[in-house]
Amino acid sequence: MVLDRRIAFVDLRTRTTETKPISLDLRKKFLGGRGMNMYLLSRYYSPHLDPFSPQNPLIFGAGLLTGTLGFGARLNVTSKSPESGHLGDSNIGGDFGAELVKAGFSHLVITGKSEGPVYLLIRDNKVEICDAHALQGLDTIGTQKSIRAELGDESIQVACIGPAGENLVRFASIRSGMKSSAGRTGMGAVMGSKNLKAVAVRGTLDIKISDPERYLKSYLRYLKKFMATKWAQALGKQGTPLLFRLANAMGFLSVLNNQETTVGEQGSRLEAEALEPYSTGMVACYSCPVHCRHRFFVEERGYGGEGPEYASIGSLGTKLGNLDLENIIYAVELCNRYGLDTISTGTYMAWAMELYQRGILQREMTEVPLVWGDREVILDLIHKIAHREGFGNILAEGPYAKEMFGEESQEYFLGVKNFPIEMTDERLPKSFALGMATSTRGACHMRSRPSIDVLGLPEDVLKKIYGGPVSNELVSYSGKGRMVWWHELANAVCDSLGFCRFQSVFSSPHAPHYRQFSRLIALATGLHVTPKALQTTGERIYTLERMMLAKDGLSRRDDTLPKRYFEEPIPEGPAKGAVILRDGFDRMLDEYYRLHGWDENGIPKKRTIARLGLSE
Amino acid sequence: MRIKVDKEHCSGCHLCEMVCSLFHTGTINTERSAIRIQKDDLNTSLNEPIVCRQCKEMKCLNGENVEEKLERPKFLWEKDRAERCPFQALTVFGEHAYHCDLCGGRPQCIRVCTPKALYV
Repeated sequence: MVLDRRIAFVDLRTRTTETKPISLDLRKKFLGGRGMNMYLLSRYYSPHLDPFSPQNPLIFGAGLLTGTLGFGARLNVTSKSPESGHLGDSNIGGDFGAELVKAGFSHLVITGKSEGPVYLLIRDNKVEICDAHALQGLDTIGTQKSIRAELGDESIQVACIGPAGENLVRFASIRSGMKSSAGRTGMGAVMGSKNLKAVAVRGTLDIKISDPERYLKSYLRYLKKFMATKWAQALGKQGTPLLFRLANAMGFLSVLNNQETTVGEQGSRLEAEALEPYSTGMVACYSCPVHCRHRFFVEERGYGGEGPEYASIGSLGTKLGNLDLENIIYAVELCNRYGLDTISTGTYMAWAMELYQRGILQREMTEVPLVWGDREVILDLIHKIAHREGFGNILAEGPYAKEMFGEESQEYFLGVKNFPIEMTDERLPKSFALGMATSTRGACHMRSRPSIDVLGLPEDVLKKIYGGPVSNELVSYSGKGRMVWWHELANAVCDSLGFCRFQSVFSSPHAPHYRQFSRLIALATGLHVTPKALQTTGERIYTLERMMLAKDGLSRRDDTLPKRYFEEPIPEGPAKGAVILRDGFDRMLDEYYRLHGWDENGIPKKRTIARLGLSE
Repeated sequence: MRIKVDKEHCSGCHLCEMVCSLFHTGTINTERSAIRIQKDDLNTSLNEPIVCRQCKEMKCLNGENVEEKLERPKFLWEKDRAERCPFQALTVFGEHAYHCDLCGGRPQCIRVCTPKALYV
């Protein structure tokens, strides 16, 4: 049964494991995945918890419906982040989450630090701690292949770190398969700090479905409807690179550390069509009908892989003034193999390049001239960051590099809550800007980005979706607090079910939503959660995340944006002149706090906490 | 009728395996599926769906005193038959081999194969 999946509490110091069931009450309150992870993390979280200490829990959580016929089969990795120093959380696709639930577990809570390198091996209800000396220093693909070879089973799924995680690079990722990444917030560094090289899983247990016939019937109906949408069809052909053209054409792309926001016609070199000569087919995560991942092969260099995604093309491309697609593909592949988050890697490099451009950093520190778009420098820096060599050792500290870069460097670090922004610039789309400012894991588009906003749907349609007035103008501040609030809740639910953002109301109003989720939950598990209760679950999860941030002392003044967004209108291109106005931004925040039931300083009100059942 | 495979289009999503086991057993277990995806997911080669070819001459039944037409519509088979299949197309899990019974005429795996790697 889906609801029989257990939590394994693993202490790497004492090498002991305790498994526990998850009560129905907790399932109803938090579902699984991100929701349950936040409940578990909240029991450990304090402002004094050092992310690199053995006490910091590393939590893996598969969604409630991961492993069933849903819309993806995803898993969240959650911990206190060594990158931001606050809430860490990252969502990963591929086959790992489904394999974990097939082995009888939905969650792992890993604490302690092992004396020597180890990996966890989880097979049908059993957890073992295995020696990983032989895996030390291997890249993420080599690690996975070695574990499969050692155990003689090609079906084993592995989530692992590469050299970057072992070397505690603060933005190291956890990787699985050729491309899947729990990339953001440095979860790989937490794993490295515990001397945990990998988690290997293999499961063959039955997932009993409560009402198989009606469940299959409903699923097929939802599948047909969703696959008929233009969005699903386009994504299945081109993958996320299709979004690059839109961002470039509208002027919300990160270029040269956001000094500019478009590369104009030159952007065609990085659009989805430019990737086609390298693509050898489209592949999918477990239980995904869309198949948005390119498998590629670069003839001249003789290597292949999966990707690159739009976020990586922006972060290691335009953000660095790099328009060489083959170089970007290779840079992404290097990051993937070393286990580095491509978004953070690009953003820290862009920060350093702008500091060099402005003469704030000198060659004595950077070793080589940090010239925009220098392809060799970009590749060299990736090697150096992963191995913590020379200037790479400074960049490996992420936002904390500002201690070496000096006071003047800070305003050019574009981040929110000590966490770097991504492949876009949000001065034009105000809903995107608010979402970056309020995201509970620091600057992040995956917590809320209402991509629907670019469609300019009729306002009566928007009112029906969001339950209140929302402007259909991308540059308007009106109703955008509501829009962001609404998507934050929906995304929290999606992440707790294990569904993919691309198959929910992220970009298409016709994608499955609470009503369909509620029915699939009931028919698969027997658990009855109404669509309205699902939205309340989203509120509960988001407010719980916010309560942890409040413990760290974060509040309204931290729900802000880089100074550049407020003070420098976009200089050129289709979004020329766009800037965030303080009063408009404040109005969005006020509306947003009111809907969440938080006070004007962004702190959850007591009665909200009580209503959501979060009182301690 | 048989399930035809165009492996170049297989995305490796496992939906066919999931729906096969669900339809026949009421549980989702990709091990208990008559179709399986062979994945080389740490390299760049293609995924390959493997399923019974519904051979006219059923070598899998060699040496057995059974009627072919009575065996074709069965999902659960003796696992010895898997060893006799020249294409190694039968899944073995536990004490059984899993055989494609074409879901009684409307194969479910085809309904969920959005990249159209499977057809009849």
